[in-house]
Amino acid sequence: MEENAHIVSAFDKELAHIQDQISQMGEHAAAVLQTALQAVKKRDPALAQKAIEMDKILDDFELEIEERATQVIALRQPMALDLRVLISAIKIATTLERIGDLGKNIARRALVLSDGKKLKITSSVVQMGKATRKQLDAIMAAHTARDADLAVEIWENDVDLDEMYNSIFREVVTYMMEDSRKISAGSQLLFIAKNLERIGDHTTHISEMIYYVVHGKPLGDDRPKGEPLAYSEE
Amino acid sequence: MIKMKTRNVDVFYGENHAIKDVSIDILDKTVTAFIGPSGCGKSTFLRCLNRMNDTISICRITGELLMDDEDIYAKSVDPVQLRARVGMVFQKPNPFPKSIYDNVAYGPKIHGLVDNKSDLDEVVEKSLKRAAIWAEVKDRLNESGTSLSGGQQQRLCIARAIATAPEVLLMDEPASALDPIATAQIEELIDELRHRYSVVIVTHSMQQAARVSQKTAFFHMGDMVEYGDTTEIFTNPVDQRTQDYITGRFG
Repeated sequence: MEENAHIVSAFDKELAHIQDQISQMGEHAAAVLQTALQAVKKRDPALAQKAIEMDKILDDFELEIEERATQVIALRQPMALDLRVLISAIKIATTLERIGDLGKNIARRALVLSDGKKLKITSSVVQMGKATRKQLDAIMAAHTARDADLAVEIWENDVDLDEMYNSIFREVVTYMMEDSRKISAGSQLLFIAKNLERIGDHTTHISEMIYYVVHGKPLGDDRPKGEPLAYSEE
Repeated sequence: MIKMKTRNVDVFYGENHAIKDVSIDILDKTVTAFIGPSGCGKSTFLRCLNRMNDTISICRITGELLMDDEDIYAKSVDPVQLRARVGMVFQKPNPFPKSIYDNVAYGPKIHGLVDNKSDLDEVVEKSLKRAAIWAEVKDRLNESGTSLSGGQQQRLCIARAIATAPEVLLMDEPASALDPIATAQIEELIDELRHRYSVVIVTHSMQQAARVSQKTAFFHMGDMVEYGDTTEIFTNPVDQRTQDYITGRFG
């Protein structure tokens, strides 16, 4: 730390503070997701309501990080690594806010689901939720450690979420075809799975930001992706 | 296009090895910035490019320095003639204690670049216009150059430097003694000048280097550590020393 410290120590404090805010925001986004998934699993409207409430703080986090980063850019004219850290902080804050929104949307759907009968597929969706949460936790750890290799690994692992989504999609469609009374709940679960898949995509975006901070160039675009889903199955 | 080229240049001030093995291509119609901490050798190296170091007796220079592939340290080269082709602007505006007109007219006169008064008038007007100060002084050309404000004096000095139709313009901290408005005017001017000349600027302000230059060279303890596109140097430098310096860390 000493060796790599700025001559102006207040600059270091401001950068450290923003990084800390990002870490806290990441934990909070993960908590929203976790609570929403619990609500889905337990069909608990109170938990769902709680997740919806929790999401509001993420908006405040995003605003504060944006404002602070903008101030540092204006007042200190950061260069190179410092500039990349700040630009990526703004982008990561926006991404985490979106992840929160998707978590909130899952909670809303959990509210609807809590009225009806539990579907067997729920456990697959909850499993996918756990895997998504794991990806999110891992990317925040990679962010704190500024570990580009770990970030790339997480980026590559997103393909698993894509494949989980595809298999849930097929499964749910099969259920809905078998029993039209399951269409309402089934479509809610489909949206939940789609939201999880989107959270996975946002997580890869954070991977790309970490890579950019460390290496100063984009990670590129050839991420392994799941098979494109056949929407009109014969 | 390469305007000036140096190969393996070493500079010694007595025992002090001030510049170590610097090879660089300075491009035509481009602004090149030399940055680095005090004492890194950037000004010393700049002064090699028009042989300003010749006046320092203990200064010894080895290696090759070429302009348009001609050795500027060759016996046949007259340093005074060279300095007309490679003009220089200094940190502190230093107008002659003469009229505004004479400040600009001086160079073309001593180098015999004009035949008559009307030609000289034309060179003076053109130079003052290119230095973006004509509108402010055209009605007071007989007033002393020292009566102008600091920013105006510096633009007058730039007009004086370009009056001899140089090919390269060296600027050693040209805006460090000026207020932000005058600085912005000088920076705007540098951007204009690069369409005609090869400009090399030494600056302590990294923001200024980033704003005005297309190429940047970072000097540290006599070494040229890194040279490349300004956008690369300031967003993603290769060398850790460059990174530490431009981000304001101890190297």
